[in-house]
Amino acid sequence: MSRTLQSGYHRPRMLRHVGRFSPVRIQSMHYQSGRHIRLLLQPGRSLYDALVEPLRDIGVTSASTTILGGYFEHLEYCVAPPDPTGNAVIAYSRPIDAGASFMVFGNATLGKDMEGRPLVHCHASVRVADGGVKGGHIVPQASIIGATPISVLVTALEGFELRQAFDDETNIPLLKPFKES
Amino acid sequence: MSNAETAKVVTTRVVTTESGRMGRVAYARIAPNEDLVQGVEKMCLAEGFRNAFVRGGLGSLVDASLGCRDGSYQQISGPAVEVVSIAGEVRSGADGVPVASLAGIVADTDGNVYGGPFLAGWNPVCMTFEVTLEEWIPEDEASA
Repeated sequence: MSRTLQSGYHRPRMLRHVGRFSPVRIQSMHYQSGRHIRLLLQPGRSLYDALVEPLRDIGVTSASTTILGGYFEHLEYCVAPPDPTGNAVIAYSRPIDAGASFMVFGNATLGKDMEGRPLVHCHASVRVADGGVKGGHIVPQASIIGATPISVLVTALEGFELRQAFDDETNIPLLKPFKES
Repeated sequence: MSNAETAKVVTTRVVTTESGRMGRVAYARIAPNEDLVQGVEKMCLAEGFRNAFVRGGLGSLVDASLGCRDGSYQQISGPAVEVVSIAGEVRSGADGVPVASLAGIVADTDGNVYGGPFLAGWNPVCMTFEVTLEEWIPEDEASA
């Protein structure tokens, strides 16, 4: 839902999360330079495999990527409404089947999950099968690249790595930067 | 035009290009209830970046506020409103204070999309926001 408001003060809404407030509000790390890679997502592969495998082959396991747009044979995405269980303030919905789609623009972060496996966190805007434009959290394992390769600009993160870790405040696992293990 | 009138003409040189190079790369996780725009600015303060480009970013907002040309703004209600694309830069003036200009597309809880510039102070993070910045070092600063 959206509404247009005249300029003027309104108090931005905060939320009380389930867990204990963390005093660290911005967790950041840097490296002296970036390594850039042009990646082509291959037809017929899942978004997950098409991102993870070629990058793993060249030693990249943490990265920030920009997906420059392209056709998907099939795409699924989730939205993030309030969590009815109260476990966290929001929870991803069940996957929504967008059918054959065009990803207009996407960002995906590559890191490691809590078991050390590759993790892809992707948000994108998508023209779905019925012609409408939608946006949300893309399900990378269930989204299949279409007939034409899709270009991706990869900024590989070196000197530190991204790992999923349980976040006490939000009560869910989240990607955060850590010194390389 | 008389000589006196000519003397009043002020020539303003508009800088439209700036040569430079990319520097360090930083990644941050911005925590809940922090403002997206000011969070990126604080990240630059933490990392010592004067100027930077956004290389990637994704996450969620409690509600989103996107500016309009006439000074009004569009409010998209969450939670959560997902940021599904973002672009922008950070620039510091003579006072060294970083100012982020960020624009993007957001999706509401039905997946409907809206776009525009994110208003500083009015876009609180819902669960997390991941952002990657690449430092921009203008040629004149690099040689200073």
